[in-house]
Amino acid sequence: MKECSALVKDNRRVGQDTYLMTLECEFSPFTPGQFLMLRLTGTCEPFLRRPLAILSYRERAIELLYKVRGGGTSLLAGTKKGEALSVLGPLGKGFSDPKPEEEAVYVAGGTGLPPILALAEKTRRGRLIIGARTRDDIPLWNRMQNIAGVEPTATTEDGSLGIRGVATQALGDLLETIQSPCVIYACGPTGMLKQAARLAQGSGARCEVSIEEHMACGFGVCSACVVRTTTGNQKVCTQGPVFDASCIEWGI
Amino acid sequence: MDISTRLAPGLCLKNPVLSASGTFAYGEEFSRMFDLSLLGGVVTKGLSLLPSEGNPTPRVCETPCGMLNAIGLENIGIDAFIEEKLPFLGTFDTEVIVNFFGTAEDEYAQMAQRLDIEGVSAIEMNVSCPNIKKGGIEFGKDPQILNRLVAKVRKSTTKPLVVKLSPMVTHIGEMALAAQEGGADALTCSNTFPAMAIDENTLRPMLGNVTGGLSGPAIKPIALRIVWEVSRQVSIPVIASGGITSWKDAVHFLLAGASAVEIGSASLRDPLCFGAIIEGLIRYMQDKGLESISDIIGRLQTA
Repeated sequence: MKECSALVKDNRRVGQDTYLMTLECEFSPFTPGQFLMLRLTGTCEPFLRRPLAILSYRERAIELLYKVRGGGTSLLAGTKKGEALSVLGPLGKGFSDPKPEEEAVYVAGGTGLPPILALAEKTRRGRLIIGARTRDDIPLWNRMQNIAGVEPTATTEDGSLGIRGVATQALGDLLETIQSPCVIYACGPTGMLKQAARLAQGSGARCEVSIEEHMACGFGVCSACVVRTTTGNQKVCTQGPVFDASCIEWGI
Repeated sequence: MDISTRLAPGLCLKNPVLSASGTFAYGEEFSRMFDLSLLGGVVTKGLSLLPSEGNPTPRVCETPCGMLNAIGLENIGIDAFIEEKLPFLGTFDTEVIVNFFGTAEDEYAQMAQRLDIEGVSAIEMNVSCPNIKKGGIEFGKDPQILNRLVAKVRKSTTKPLVVKLSPMVTHIGEMALAAQEGGADALTCSNTFPAMAIDENTLRPMLGNVTGGLSGPAIKPIALRIVWEVSRQVSIPVIASGGITSWKDAVHFLLAGASAVEIGSASLRDPLCFGAIIEGLIRYMQDKGLESISDIIGRLQTA
C-alpha cells in the first residue's frame, strides 16, 4: 500500500450514472477484489476518501468503474482529463484464484461489477453472470462478451437485456448443470450475496464474496467497516473485502 | 531550534504532534506508511478491561467538512494490548500514551494499575466518549464525580496522567480545574461532539447507533475556543484535539495555549499528514525566527 498522485487520463460515461475512469500513476500490482481510496481534493470537502474497487492496472494506467451515488461520486464524475487525484492502495484482501480442478462462476449485481470483471479478466476462464434492473445499468457488456474463455450471461429485472430475472436465479440454474467442483465469486447487494452463499452451501461449491460497508480510513485503523463473522467482527477494509461466504453471519 | 514540549514530569515529547485516540488503532497500520519515530507520541485506541465489540454498522458518516463516528470503542481489551501491541510500539523512538476507559471508578483504577508498566509513557483517561452507554461521558459531566475519579486513578499509577475532557459541559473550565485538582498532569481538550445525520429517503439515521461524534475541520473553531478557555484556567499543560488538519491549525492551537496537538480524523483522509504538519511547524518557526515551541505556546495577543 502506498499513497501516490494520479492524473485523470479519461473519465467517460458508460451507463446510467456510471463512469469509467482511467488514472495514470505508478501504482502496484493488485489482486482482483482489492480496492483503493481516492481523495478528490486538497480541501476539506468532501472530507473522506472514496473506496473504489480496482478494475485493472497495467502500463501505469488504473481503470475504475463507479456509479454516481452522492456528492463525492458526482464530484468524481466531474473531474476532467489532467486533474490530479490522490490514490491510496492497493488495499484489502482480494479473491483467491480458482483451483485447477474448479469450475469458476462469477456473479455481479449492479455496482458489484468491477472486482468481478477484474477477476474474470485475470483468470480468463469460467462463467460470468451480471444482473441489474435494466439494460442501462449494465456497463461494459461488450467488454464482458470479449473475454476469451469466459462465457457471460446478463439478467435484467425488466428483460431489456439477456434473461428476465435476477442474477441469483441464473446462478441457481447454472449450478444445477455443473457436476465438477465449483467456486463462486460474488459482489453485489447483501441480499444477492446471501443468496449466492446459500446456493453455494446447497451445491457444495466454494464461495467468496466481496462485502461492502461504510468506510472512513480504508486501511484498518478506524474500525468503522466491520462485518460479523463466525469468529467475531472483522474489518472489511483489511481482513476483507473478500471473505469466504461460509464465515459471514448473514443475519435473518 | 527546540521543538520539544513538556507534558508532565518525566514526559517530554520531541515534537508536539501526537496521533489521537481511535484513529490510529495500535500503530501497526500507520507504521507501514511512515516511521512512527517521527511522532512526538502515539495515543492508542481506547482500551477497556475486557475486549469490546462496539456498535452496529453503519459506524461512520461523512458530513460537511467532517465526519460522524459511532464505533462504540471496539477494542481488543487491555490484556491483549499489553501482550500483543505494546512490545511493537516499544520498537519506535516515540512516547506511548495509552488511552483507556472504564464503566466504574474501580475499573478505571484497576486499568491504570495494570498500565503502570514499562513501555507505557503516560495514560490518557477517556471520560468523554459520546458513543457508549456505560462509562465515558457520564464521568465527565460533573466536576465532583470527575475530581473523585481522577484522584482515585492518580493513586493507582506512577505514570503521567492525562485526562481527556468532554466538550459537552456548561463550564469546561470547572471540569478542567476539577481534573487538575484531582491530580491530572495534563488535559486533552477535547473529544467529538454528539451529533447526527438522517437519510431522507430511507427515513433512517445514517448511523447504526443513531447518534455519533462529530469530528474534523467542522469542529476546529469550537475546539480552539475550548483550548483557549481551559488553558487560561489551569496551570497544567493542555493537549489540543479537534479538527487539526494542517500546520496552521497546529500553530493556532499552540497560540491558544496548547502544549501539544493530537491529529485524528485528518489522518484517516491523509495518513501522511503528520510529517507535513511537523515540517510546516518547523518552517513557521524558522520564518518567525523562533527558537523554541514555548515561544508559540499561549502567545495569543488579545489586548
